[in-house]
Amino acid sequence: MESEMTEDRKITKKERTEQPDGEVKQVVDFALEAGRILLKNGGEIFRVEETITRICQHFGVEHVDIFTLSHGIFVSAENEKGEVYTRVKHIPLSGSHLGIVAEVNELSRQIAGGKVTILEAQERLAQIDRIPPSRARTQVLGAGMGAACFGYLMGASLAESVVTFFIGCLVYLWVILAKRCRLSKIIINIAGGIMITLCAIFATRLSNASMVFSLDGMIIGAIMPLIPGMAFTNAIRDIADSDFLSGTVRMMDALMVFVYIAVGVGIVLMTYNNMTGGFIL
Amino acid sequence: MTTQEILSNLFCSFMGTVGFAIMYNVPKKYYLGCGATGMAGWIMFLIVNAQNHITSSVASFFGAFVVVLMSRILSVKMKCPITIFLISGIFPLVPGVGIYNTVYYIVTNQLTQAALKGTESLKIAFAIVMGIVIVVSVPRDVFHKVYYWFVAGKD
Repeated sequence: MESEMTEDRKITKKERTEQPDGEVKQVVDFALEAGRILLKNGGEIFRVEETITRICQHFGVEHVDIFTLSHGIFVSAENEKGEVYTRVKHIPLSGSHLGIVAEVNELSRQIAGGKVTILEAQERLAQIDRIPPSRARTQVLGAGMGAACFGYLMGASLAESVVTFFIGCLVYLWVILAKRCRLSKIIINIAGGIMITLCAIFATRLSNASMVFSLDGMIIGAIMPLIPGMAFTNAIRDIADSDFLSGTVRMMDALMVFVYIAVGVGIVLMTYNNMTGGFIL
Repeated sequence: MTTQEILSNLFCSFMGTVGFAIMYNVPKKYYLGCGATGMAGWIMFLIVNAQNHITSSVASFFGAFVVVLMSRILSVKMKCPITIFLISGIFPLVPGVGIYNTVYYIVTNQLTQAALKGTESLKIAFAIVMGIVIVVSVPRDVFHKVYYWFVAGKD
């Protein structure tokens, strides 16, 4: 009896043409994981949907529907027997690792080119997900460099740019530490704005006859690392692709960060202004 | 502009963009492309902005246009997502001065000035949006074909 059953199973497994249930599940799970990694690290909506469709179709799952939001993916796939497999994945708005986006894109190209099997692809994807961000030290120096250079472009003097470099480093150090402690964006950006303005005011106090520091160049440069360039750019691209819902959410995210920074800078400027009787700049 | 100013502008826009590429964890092999994108956009902005009767929002539009165009060409050439070049390249055009001035004037209670500066930064932001949207809307196949036709010399 038992041997008959196993015999039976073997036959049905052989008889099924292309896609046994297990395989649909495996392919969809893998595609969804790729989508999750892309969305989490700053991929656009159309890239996520395109990657999932490409992977599913290449591995023989023809009927697949995807609905992607800025913080969630819904996938539903159907095999030829009419059985439906559906998954929902929640992906909080976070992260910005363009290296991972590039790697997943490369993997998806290779899959479409038929160069990798699904098992290899799963292995590769797990490796990609584990790619660490660059070292904190490097990122902090990068932020400082960006702040100093843009401060100079926006009209800071050379000495002010040097100060801006240190303020930029300090602020990004704060951002990294605060993100590790999972502080909210409101706190991170308001406190960042406050920190920048305090440092800049402190630097102006150091100015003497030979070197005069003015506030604006330093503050403008130093807020650059806080500015949500990725959320803003992705929002525009999503809206350009008519993904209005995700675009609006991301644009709101970017706008709120702008407001938080402004509040942080504004609080300190106002207090300083009142204390010194309207004398700034 | 003196030669020194031009050189320092080139250098700073390049290095600044690379700084932001590092912040966003862009792989090392793309740093050169990112820097070049940011530099091209900023130079375009400066050239247009230096003309008479042209506001900085129009200049930002042309800057963004060049940034996106360059990002798309580079993304076809280096076979990677356009996001890599676009996000760091757009940074020099961000209206940081406008935002700062708006906040400054609000805080010092010069509301007319604040409204002026605020509208100006909004205009710049919108110009950047238009620049991005126009180039992004061109279908990908067109870019592939044009690129292989002109640059690589095969179809």
